[in-house]
Parts: sequence; C-alpha cells; structure tokens
Amino acid sequence: MTTLDPNVPDGPLHKKWDNRREELKLVAPNNKKKHNIIVVGTGLAGASAAATLGELGYNVKSFCIQDSPRRAHSIAAQGGINATKNYPNDGDSIWRLFYDTIKGGDFRSRESNTYRLAQVAGNIIDQAVAQGVPFAREYGGELANRSFGGAQVSRTFYARGQTGQQLLLGAYQALQRQVERGKVQMYPRREMLDLVVVDGKARGIITRNLVTGEMERHAGDAVVLCSGGYGRVYFLSTNAFNSNATAAWRCHKRGAMFANPCYVQIHPTCIPQSGDYQSKLTLMSESLRNDGRVWVPKNKEDCSKPPEQIPEEDRDYYLERRYPAFGNLVPRDVASRNAKYVCDEGRSVGRGGARAVYLDFRDAIEEQGREAIKDKYGNLFHMYEKITDEDPYEVPMRIYPAVHYTMGGLWVDYNLMSNLDGLFVAGEANFSDHGANRLGASALMQGLADGYFIVPHTVGDYLARHRPDPMRPDHNKFDQCEEETRQHIQKMMDVGKNGSRTVIEIYRELGKLMYDKVGVSRTKEGLEEAREEIRELRDQFWNDVKIPGEADNYNKMLEVAGRLADFLELAEVMAMDASEREESCGCHFREEYQSDDGEAARNDDEFTNVFAWDYKDEGEWEKHVEDLEFENVELSTRSYK
Amino acid sequence: MIPLKKALTSPVGRKFVMSISGIALVLFVIVHLLGNLTLYVPDGGETFNRYAAGFEAMGPFLYVIELGLLAVILIHIGWGITTAIKNRKARPEDYDESTETKGGPSRLSLASKNMIVSGVVLGFFLIVHIWHFRVRKDFVGETTEVDGQEATNLYAMVHEAFADPFWVVFYVGCMVFLAFHLRHGFWSALQSLGAMKPEWSKAIYAIGFFVAVVLAVGFMGIPLYIYFVDLPPPV
Amino acid sequence: MADETMDLTLRVWRQNGPDDKGRFEEYAAEGISPHSSFLEMLDQVNERLIHQGKEPIAFDSDCREGICGTCGFVVNGQAHGPEPATTVCQLHMRNFSDGDTITIEPWRAKAFPVIKDLVVDREAFDRIISAGGYVSVGTGPKPDANAVKVPKPISDKAFDSAACIGCGACVAACPNAAASLFTGAKITHLALLPQGRPERGQRVKNMVHQMEEEGFGNCSNIGECEAVCPKEISVSNIAKMKREYLRALFTDS
Repeated sequence: MTTLDPNVPDGPLHKKWDNRREELKLVAPNNKKKHNIIVVGTGLAGASAAATLGELGYNVKSFCIQDSPRRAHSIAAQGGINATKNYPNDGDSIWRLFYDTIKGGDFRSRESNTYRLAQVAGNIIDQAVAQGVPFAREYGGELANRSFGGAQVSRTFYARGQTGQQLLLGAYQALQRQVERGKVQMYPRREMLDLVVVDGKARGIITRNLVTGEMERHAGDAVVLCSGGYGRVYFLSTNAFNSNATAAWRCHKRGAMFANPCYVQIHPTCIPQSGDYQSKLTLMSESLRNDGRVWVPKNKEDCSKPPEQIPEEDRDYYLERRYPAFGNLVPRDVASRNAKYVCDEGRSVGRGGARAVYLDFRDAIEEQGREAIKDKYGNLFHMYEKITDEDPYEVPMRIYPAVHYTMGGLWVDYNLMSNLDGLFVAGEANFSDHGANRLGASALMQGLADGYFIVPHTVGDYLARHRPDPMRPDHNKFDQCEEETRQHIQKMMDVGKNGSRTVIEIYRELGKLMYDKVGVSRTKEGLEEAREEIRELRDQFWNDVKIPGEADNYNKMLEVAGRLADFLELAEVMAMDASEREESCGCHFREEYQSDDGEAARNDDEFTNVFAWDYKDEGEWEKHVEDLEFENVELSTRSYK
Repeated sequence: MIPLKKALTSPVGRKFVMSISGIALVLFVIVHLLGNLTLYVPDGGETFNRYAAGFEAMGPFLYVIELGLLAVILIHIGWGITTAIKNRKARPEDYDESTETKGGPSRLSLASKNMIVSGVVLGFFLIVHIWHFRVRKDFVGETTEVDGQEATNLYAMVHEAFADPFWVVFYVGCMVFLAFHLRHGFWSALQSLGAMKPEWSKAIYAIGFFVAVVLAVGFMGIPLYIYFVDLPPPV
Repeated sequence: MADETMDLTLRVWRQNGPDDKGRFEEYAAEGISPHSSFLEMLDQVNERLIHQGKEPIAFDSDCREGICGTCGFVVNGQAHGPEPATTVCQLHMRNFSDGDTITIEPWRAKAFPVIKDLVVDREAFDRIISAGGYVSVGTGPKPDANAVKVPKPISDKAFDSAACIGCGACVAACPNAAASLFTGAKITHLALLPQGRPERGQRVKNMVHQMEEEGFGNCSNIGECEAVCPKEISVSNIAKMKREYLRALFTDS
C-alpha cells in the first residue's frame, strides 16, 4: 500500500487554483498545432474539453459511441446546474457552495478540488449564456434560479426539465464549430477498447468502429477520458442503454487506478420496475419531493388495496416520522435507504409485486389547487402517466430508488491527471469532487468545469513540461494493443457461438446481484457473497455466453457483451472496496456501522481517505490510499432529524 | 451575400420563386375569372366580346403581357418540376406502409402530397386551353362587330366548344385539379415566404380553402351553365 | 408481473448493410406486456431470436426516456408510431391490441443511408449544425450572464425551438425527406437570442445550403414533420427560417 500524492497547489484554499494556474506552463501558439489530443466521450466534459482544446489550437480527435456527439447521456439530466452567482441575493457564496458540496459528500472528497469546482461554477453560466443556452428567465429578462435538492439558497439554474440537454447542445455546438474549423476531427460510433501506454505515458487508443467492426489506432500526446460513470453495472439504472465503463476499465487495466468504486448514488424518485422485460428506470426530478408525501401502508395486508381505501391512520409517512426536521426532503441516500427498508418489511406497494412506495400529491393538491401543482410538475406528471398509465393527480405516484450516478472513478490528481502520465480523466469518469455522495444539480457543474475550465489548461501544462515526441500509430505498442483487443473479441465470439445464455440474461443477473448486495445497504457478509457470485457469473460469461452475429459488422450484442465482460470485473472491485470501507458514509451504507438510531456512522479516524485500486491480475488489486486533509472545514455529522 | 443563382435554387430560395410566381398566377386567375363572368350576361355575347376586344385593342402591348404571363407560368412549371425531381431523389425508396398522418398540425392530404400531379395536369390543361381559345381565336375565329369595329366572336367560340360534352367534362375535370392545387398552394405560398405566424396559420389555411373552392367553382360554372342553360348558341 | 399479455406479428425491415437490398421478415412477438415499451418489446423478440440462433433486429437506442434522439423508426407508416409527441422508446405497447400486425421500417431518406435493419446514419444533421448552428464564442471570461437581459417570452420561444432532439422523425415523415424543421429549429433558436444575432445571416445561409448539399428534399409545407415531432416543434420555425433567409438576401450580416 502506497500513499498517493494529489499534487495540490500551495496557498490558502481560495488561492490554490489561481496559484496553480500561474504555475502552469504554456504551450506556444505555433507549437499547439503540433500536438494531437485524444478526447474520449462527448458528454458535457468531453464535448466542452474537445471544443476548448480545439479552439486553443491543438489537433483534437473526439470519439463517441453514439451516432452523434449530441446524444451523450448528459443530455438526459433534468434538474439544473448550480452556480454561486447569488443573483437572488440570498446569501450564497463560493464558500457556501463548496461547503454544501463537501458536506453533502460526507467529507470524502478533496477540499481543494471541491473548492475549485465552486469557484469556476459561475463562469459556466456566463459561458453557457454566451453560447445561447436558453436558461429559464424571469419576466424582467434576468435568469431565474431555484432551490434544489434541499439547498438553503436558490443557486440552481435550469432550462425547464431539460437542463442537461440544453447545456450539452451548447457544448456540442461549440464542438461542431471546431469540427467546421478543422481543429476537431469527429469519430462517432467508435468504442475505445484499449489505451496505448508507451514508456509509462498514455499515447493513444484502440477503437472499434461500431459499424464495420474494424479496429482503428489513434496516436496522440495526451488522452482525455470523459466516458461517464459505471451505473450500468446494475443493469437497471437511469443511465442510457449504451452507458458503460469499458473505456475507463481498459485504462484501469493498463495501470490507471480506480478510486472509490463503491460510491454509487441511488436516486430515490424513479419510476419503479414494472416487469422482467424492463430495460431502464426513468428518473423523475426530486423536486417532486417538495410537495409530494412519501408513504406506505402501516400494515402489510393493506399493500394490495387501492391507496384511496387506506385511511389516514393506516398510512405510514415514514420519512416525516423518522426525520421530523427535513421530512420528505432528506438527502437522496437517506430517502433511498428508507424506501428499501419499508419494502424489505413487506410494505411495498408496487404493481404485481414490484418494489415501490407512494409519493402522494393529494394534500398538496388540496392545499394549493390542481393548477398550482400542474404549473410546477405538469411535465413530470405527464411523463409519469405516459409510462405507467396512471394519473398522479388522482392516484399517488409509485416510486422506487434507482442507480443514478457513480461518484467513484479513475483516480486523478488536482490537475485531473490519473496516475498514468498523459491520461486525464474528467466528468463522471473520474473519482470526482463529490466524495461519497453527490448533491443535486452538481453533476452538470462538474462536467463542464472540468471540460471548459480545467483540463484544457492542465493538459497544456503537461505537454509543455513533458514535450512528448511525436507518436505514430505504427509503433509496436499499438500492434500489441490492437492484437490483444482483437483476441479479446475473438475469445468472446468463440464462446458466443456455442453458449446458451444471452448477454442480457447474464447482465440482468449481475444487476440484480449488485442491487441486492452492493446496493443501498451493504453488509460484510453480503459483500463477500457478492464477490463470490460475481466470479461465478464471470466464469459463466466466459464459458456459456451466447453472442449472435459477426464481429465485422454492426453487432449490438457484441458491444454489450464486451461492456458486460468489463462490468463483471468492475463489480468485483466495487464489492471489495465496499467491504474494506468499514464505515458508513454518504451513499455507502454498511449496516454494521450505524448509530443507535439507525443513521450512517462515519469513521473519520480510519477512513478519511480515498481507496485507489491498482489492477494486478484478474480479481487481484493492490490498494493505495490518498489521505484527505481537511484544513478549512470541520468534519461534522449529517443530521436530518 | 448570397449569390443570385443560389438564392433562386437553394431549398429556401426555390420555394420563394414558387411562391411568388404562384401568387402572381393566383392573381391572374382571379382577374381571368372576373372577366369570364361576363359570359353570364344574357346579351348574346355583347359584353363578353367587348371585354375580349378590349385585349385586342391593346395591340402589341398584349403580347408583352402575354409573354410576361407565359414567363411566370414557365418559371412556376420549371421550378416546380425540378423541385419535385429533387424531392423524389431525396426519398429514393418509399415506405412499404404508406405514410399515415398523425393528424394534429399536419396538412398531409391528397392535395398536399400531389402538388406535382395537379400541377402537371394543370400544365397540360393550359396547353389545351391556350390552343383552344387563344391560338384558335387568331386563326379560326369568326368575326363579329363590337362598337362598329371588327372583332373576334370569342363568345361564339366558347359556346361552340361547350356544346360538346367532351369539352365540358374536360374543363370541369381540370378545374377539380385547380381546386386541389390551390387548396394546398395558397397556404404553402405564404408559409414559404415566411409570412406565417402560428396564430394565423389556421385562418390562412381556411382562406386557402375558400380561394380554391371559389375559383374552381367559378370556372366550372361557365361550361356547365352554357351546356345546360344557355344553349343553343346564338347565331 | 404484468396482468395480461398480448401476441403480435411484426413485419420488420431487414437489411444487412447499406448495399444490401433489404426485405421484410415476419416475426411473432408473443407474451408481450402492455406496459412494456416498444423497444422493450423488440428486446424480447431479439432475445428469442438469439436463442434460436438468428440475428437479432438491429435498432439504435440509448437513453430510452425520449431525450437523446437516438431511437426512431417508422411504425405502421408513422414515424415513432401512433402516439403524438412520443419517441418510440416512450411508446408503450398498450397503444396496440392483441393480434395486431405491426410493420416496422427504418427512416427512409437519401441523406440517411441505412446502416443495418432499422439503424440509419444521421451524420448529415451534424454537418448541418457544423455549417453554422452555433454561436461563435470561445471558452473564457464572458460578460456576466445577466449583463444582457432576454425577455421571457423570447427566451421561452427560443427554448421551444432548442428542444429539438435531432431524431430525424421530421425527415422520415416528410414526403420529400426535407430537413427544414430540424434546420429551422436551430436557426430560430439562435436568431431569437441576442447572443446569436451577429451571425444570423451567415448562419441561415450556410445551414440552408448545407441542407441541400446533404441531399434532403425541399419543404412543401405539409407539416407532417410537426405532427410526428416528439418535441412538438412547430412549423413556424420553418417560416422563421424563410424570413431569416429572405433577410440575409438583402443584408450583409
């Protein structure tokens, strides 16, 4: 076990980023065009990084698995983006956003990174507005703000329920502008399948053309990985069908450390599963909890009754009961965990045995009128009705938690560079600034902060310091990596010809196992079992998976098989990380570590740190630790009672 | 700046050309119908022939007007046909299941889908019609006297033609296509020029229907009136 | 878990690649829950095909919540199927009845060549955006976001246009395979906002000409595009595009 150096700049917290920027070496304008930079992923982080690097004069190659960069999953973010503009004059400041974020993350993130995030957040709004992002406005023509996720100030900017879409389109358009200028070359429908490391430095990638199946080599002087999170390891999640961890995982297997894999955010307000055919869970903005009341019947026998037949005294508004101060507005992890508990007790109200709790608007409609509720949540109610065929104005919504975001990811230093030189990781793909739990409206903020304002500068510094020699894709390392990738695919196809279980069948099984044992609530025993079962499932995959079609063609199931193969490895390190983190913090709840009244109990003495896992061999990792130093904030205990 | 050629042939520009020439033709057709209404005057053709003689009196100037009109017609046809060919190329393979409208704001109809069909029929009609009354007038028309001057007895020609049920059916039939063409064309011309606000769109679409029906019925009425009411032709 | 299920017959377009001629094939979709989405129904059919050793039906999808614009094909002659304002991933099987035969075809347009079965190549849309669908601002210090006020009605209208998800249903439903609604929406979004105004002339010119270069047809103002649009983008965006073009004809900016 070694200790990792986060490369944090000197100086007081609020001067750190300025100091670092002053230290950063610059690349001369005429030298920039000599550098090739590879950016993987075109979500908020990837699109903004590629656009900005292109604009600075570097030659950028941008890759995405979708058919267009505009479709990256950032597009689906609904709620909003935080920034400390303090337009409503309600006392917001950089310090407050920083503090809320670090406290929300249960003091498991790096102070310096989180502070910088809060610092640059305001610039993001200016940037987006200049790009023509149509944020919501007041009648006076100024930008509108709302309070989000229980924040005490209104610092969230939004564009109806489609903030992610509008911000991504802004970044995508900036990217397409660079494509037009010839500074960015776009490679859609490409999946990164390997990282080429030469002399300890990231020098290129191997991609598979998802249309022709061809292997392609791309050499560069730095690789910026913006490939998103790994929530799809749970199969059912709010992530997109194609979201995956493969690019990050292949970097991990080439030496990049994976940090805090057990930190997974499970969002409380999703539409519950309705059948075994289900392919995804749809999130509904948690703003619904502002007016909706969460309940289940007190008695199991009532669960099958229509909700209107359950009298008031037989309803258990369990969040209001357990958390009188915050009630239905407790943080996401607390709400999710409690939903699981009441369902474990057999008081689930899902359709045909599915797990669900009620989110009831009856009282809000009575108090404020149907119109007021429609004004606030009309589009969400509409969406809910479209999916479930139930009218939430008449019957309570049914909700259940679903995996939504992963705080863990590749370990990065303050410059967002991984432990591999030249491999930068931005957005959800890195282990991020959110610690053990992410607050609402801060994922968009982080993706864009990384992509627009941080990575473009730190990449330049790396290039100026290391002056990498030109790299050509005929270097023997590329031969080797391409060959290994080919063999990996061939091996899958060979098994796939004769196997008996479809990719999706194995995948669903992995997902269920992860929800049960590496989900909202975890135990040592469960995690040990999970590891065992994951290994068995992995064996099953490599011996009995069935894959249709050919490798030299559009083959969706082959794509998914490759991603599943990686998830089957990642799942194991998640379980291991969760097992070794013997405390409860943020989204990571270990049943052994709770207070007398059932709340998460942190162990700051032993676990004020980051676990970063170094891949050794299949199923074997070496654990490294980064100690988190808190010089500016005092570690307090969250309480929502 | 947009080069002129591009301005006239780009996807937006070519529709400007179609719209402006289309609107010009609608105006012409309105004037044409107003003139033709004199056929209904029961005076043995005096008013109508006087109206027709008025054009002849213009002398060479009439040819200028006619050539101008012809140019507009040719432009409308030329642009219409090339646009239709381009559109065909943009969808080389058709759906097996024919497109079924989702309703709502859609104007998908027999009329809107088949503008080129109604347009080609009207083009053919135009050739026949010009030959029938314009060319033949100059060469085979008998003469009559209008205000002491010799003039073509167009009234007699019209009556002669519409004594024949074939021509009655032909003219009435072609006017059905005119109705279809204008039903979509009127609204479409305004939308193509960008002169449409969503709030007005319903009203303009309704006015388009009204224009189409009034013009078509107005023209259909003439052969029908002559054939069923105003026969035999006067000597 | 579902209460009752339904059995359907699918007529699906199968095409092995851009050069393959393609043909319809019939499949039975049995035991389908009315609560499943159309794509989940196809998932189930595909699982069975895989077990039978056959190639599954290729179709694109990603977010499966109607926002990414990846999915889309023509169901019984209607882009994204019978429900208005819905992508095919949000179309639920309760819109169909037991025993129905459903015909499924890819978007058909010269500018959207078929890659495989129901998967088409929509890069033409990206190239239209590249031609001018952006505001030319670099990353860096910008004026404060509230420095320029935008009246709420204008901002709301700009949002309505910006809501386009680029799925291509407008092109698919247009008898001329025109991309006017897609292009018009982006032009309108940016022309309405003060930030987009300096480039409006160049933008409309370049985007319209790119649209032609990509081989899209010409708008005949039929409006089926709006009817099938999952985001209900209005054809008034097309009218706005025409006005912008007209304006560009006579001005320098």
